[in-house]
Amino acid sequence: MLGRQPIGIAFVAPYAVFLAAVFAYPLGIAVYMSFYDWFFAAPGAVVDRPFVGFSNYVAVFSDPAVLRSFLNIAIFLVINVPLTVGLSLGLASALNAAIPLRTFFRVSFYVPYVTASVAVVGVWFFLFSSDGLVNEVLGDLAPDPSWLVNSTWAMPVIAVFVTWKQLGFFILLYLAALQNVPKELYESAAVDGASRLRSFWTVTVPGVRPATTLVVLLATITGANLFTEPYLLTNGGGPDGASASPVLVMYQRGIQQGQAGLAAAIGIVLVIGVLIISLINRKLLERD
Amino acid sequence: MPRKVHPLRILALAVGALIFLFPFYYMLIGSLQSEPDSSPAGALPNPGNLTGGNYADIDERIDLGTTLVNSGIFTGGVLLGTVVFGVLAGYALARLHFRGRSLLFNLMLLVQVIPFQLLTIPLYVLIVRTYGLGDSYLGMILPFAINSTAVFVFRQYFLQLPRELFEAAQVDGASELAILFRIALPLVKPALLTAVLLTFIGPWNEFLWPFLITKQADMQPLAVALANYMSNVAARATNPFGALLAGACVLAAPVIVLFVIFQRHFVATNLGSSVKG
Amino acid sequence: MKRTLTALLATIPLALTTVACNVDGGGGDGGDDAESAGKHGPITIWYSNNTEEVAWGKDMVAKWNGAHPDEKVTAQEIPAGKTAEEAIGASITAGTAPCLVFNTAPAAVPQFQKQGGLVPLDDFPDGAKYIEDRTGENAAQYKSPDGKYYQLPWKSNPVVIFYNKKAFAKAGVDAENPPLSTYDEFLDTARKVVKSNAAQYAIWPAPSSEFFQSWFDFYPLFAAETDGKLLVEDGKSTFAGDEGKKVTAFWQTIYKEGLAGKEKYNGDAFADGKAAMAIVGPWAIPVYKGKVEWGSAPVPTSQGKDAGEIHTFSDAKNVAMYSACKNRATAWDLMKFATSEEQDGALLEATGQMPLRTGLQDVYPDYFEKNPAYKEFADLTARTVEVPNVPNSIAIWQAVRDAYSNSVIFGKSDPDQAMQDAATKVDQLAGQS
Repeated sequence: MLGRQPIGIAFVAPYAVFLAAVFAYPLGIAVYMSFYDWFFAAPGAVVDRPFVGFSNYVAVFSDPAVLRSFLNIAIFLVINVPLTVGLSLGLASALNAAIPLRTFFRVSFYVPYVTASVAVVGVWFFLFSSDGLVNEVLGDLAPDPSWLVNSTWAMPVIAVFVTWKQLGFFILLYLAALQNVPKELYESAAVDGASRLRSFWTVTVPGVRPATTLVVLLATITGANLFTEPYLLTNGGGPDGASASPVLVMYQRGIQQGQAGLAAAIGIVLVIGVLIISLINRKLLERD
Repeated sequence: MPRKVHPLRILALAVGALIFLFPFYYMLIGSLQSEPDSSPAGALPNPGNLTGGNYADIDERIDLGTTLVNSGIFTGGVLLGTVVFGVLAGYALARLHFRGRSLLFNLMLLVQVIPFQLLTIPLYVLIVRTYGLGDSYLGMILPFAINSTAVFVFRQYFLQLPRELFEAAQVDGASELAILFRIALPLVKPALLTAVLLTFIGPWNEFLWPFLITKQADMQPLAVALANYMSNVAARATNPFGALLAGACVLAAPVIVLFVIFQRHFVATNLGSSVKG
Repeated sequence: MKRTLTALLATIPLALTTVACNVDGGGGDGGDDAESAGKHGPITIWYSNNTEEVAWGKDMVAKWNGAHPDEKVTAQEIPAGKTAEEAIGASITAGTAPCLVFNTAPAAVPQFQKQGGLVPLDDFPDGAKYIEDRTGENAAQYKSPDGKYYQLPWKSNPVVIFYNKKAFAKAGVDAENPPLSTYDEFLDTARKVVKSNAAQYAIWPAPSSEFFQSWFDFYPLFAAETDGKLLVEDGKSTFAGDEGKKVTAFWQTIYKEGLAGKEKYNGDAFADGKAAMAIVGPWAIPVYKGKVEWGSAPVPTSQGKDAGEIHTFSDAKNVAMYSACKNRATAWDLMKFATSEEQDGALLEATGQMPLRTGLQDVYPDYFEKNPAYKEFADLTARTVEVPNVPNSIAIWQAVRDAYSNSVIFGKSDPDQAMQDAATKVDQLAGQS
């Protein structure tokens, strides 16, 4: 009745309780809020919060700023996810071998991930501002207006920044996964005369498939929920909302402007969207 | 037979490392400058412009010692919860069959997907009003207590272990807990370390939640103090940008040290042979 | 998979019912308002983490605690930046707000009021009278639509133009009396500065799209041009009319000719010498000490006006009493103490910011003799314009900022059209209750 190994229930109990107490309840509140003209009020205050059915959701799909933010995040994901998978697997493989100065290299790729965005952003400004290093190097090819205030380039720049910053995380994931690809497989491939590139494709890539699923899923999820970088890099959504992310808009509407019901609706729509994408990703990648 | 390392590979890595390290290097240099120098030339250390003053500046305004300890308590609590309960949950989700397993797994996926900002205020009200945990370390730790990504990672790596290993142990009549501790856990050490290092970053760099939970300056972690500093006080220092970078370097240093120490354990194991033998 | 999905969907109504029963009902204690209004006892207050204000605040609290050992005040710092409103809003919701916050932005008051988070000071018998006696006519701008005061006007930072004397001298502009009073003069001066490379930009207001940035480019000039109109008056927006058009045309020229930066500067551009002018209030003066030799002038108008007639934005920060407060009598007494003649003077001395008290120069003649540069600010406090106290005020400012940013800063649309569209939106937002 309880499954073949009911002790599993005991194992997961603390985690399940945690989820219920800390996530399920607030999530329920958020869903509830999205159907009302909701705003947060002081305890005991008598306030009028009319039920508005789906009108918050209608607003989500008709507000140009919100729609633009979803487009922005789609652009972000298209750039960020493939780049992340490719670069992190490539770098992890390179870092897995017995190369000189291995520790130094590993640390250098990990460093951006551990530094608080708040500090790194300043450096990024230095590089990408209109008189920054990148423009000095590019000379006449530099876009005008400059990168972060350019409505075409703002989001791609953020995508590159976030890819760079998070790569350490995904390299770590792949590094751990690579430890479990048996050495014998590489050796037998070498015996069969396979080149390094070929053994990469035939041994490494299939060998870390579960990790790849994980990387794609996590990159998609963290990407869709992007908040800190647009918040810090383009304070308030950039030129024309060109670098606003859905969570940023949600934050503005909900916490700054007090329209909590609308913000909740944005959040729920985002969650549903990401769930759909994640399910598709899983189906495509996981042949477990 | 040792494989020859292709020089091109080293070159590619070196270029990559340079790109990755440059901003951090710039942070270090910037934190040591007495006058902000934002020109490209300023990226090279200029002996005339170096000073430890920025570190003193920021230490004066925000107590680096206390805030670091607070960061440690906050992060330590999260690590404890995640390692103890997360491993149990990840193992069960990967290898045990019990009622409600898929439900929990899907719930975990759902939780991952939800942006924290959606839950922030309801969570705040819940933890402060209903659970009465305002102004406490527990209140700070609670929303992060078990990192779902880590559980996900644990599950993924437990999945990668070959089935034969477990079947052999089950035939021998070992209890599940014993299997977990004596067989599975040692084999996923890289995953454990990975999860620890990854779980570390979240609470270590988190600045919104602890700020909401408590206003008491002596309970705030370093990330919060830095964010507050930047928003208002920074402009007063002789080199505001430098002082901020000094704080950021202090914030980043322990994590890097930890990583340097632990990454040695990412060494290939001969998994195949342990099954054959 | 299907079974899990059904199970998942089943949990949602369960969660919702639990939520609906509990959602912010838990322990309503708002019914003791009358009782709390008379209670004395210890209270907590928050103030901003501006260095000078902290010094003043600590001093003030120490004095109070010495005289009132039974009504101890515990004070905490909160960051003055945008996160302050979010922290206060969250604490209102959780019921953990302090009694007083000495950093309440007038723009946030409508929202806090809507949340039921503020105590109307009219509840106290001398509430309205104290405020009007101290602040005079200007107090009317701080009344809420229901006619009550939910904030005590505390201090303002009238926005003026600061200029870098050295940079001006280098550009060949008279550094003691620079021509900055009409738009044409201002533009001319700005062009000279940039051409001569005295600074990278003539002026560098933050071009980012946070809702409050318009307070430091559009609004001060609008206030000056219209002789003191608010953004929204009698529920209707005023900024899309002729005067507003002149202001946006001015700023549009500035951005078109590259006289101001389109990217946010990471730091203080004026203090770092990157911009020759700044548009800000006297709180910034301690920041510039030792870095820039500055002079100040009123904001420009299209035709030029007498300095004694020019209005500007107040950038006020006020004190509000929050409904979570139990010992309101003490809180009210502290509010009066902290804004007494003595304490206002201490604030002035410590921070150089202008208490919202009428006749500053008569009440504190010594200070202004010692600091003649501040006379201008004291003079301006009589002619400051506040943000309108209307519902949805933050959403309103965001709409204005988005239109301004798109059309004026980035030149993507016609300013007149964009501001007109924003005005329509603002009218709708201000009309909601």
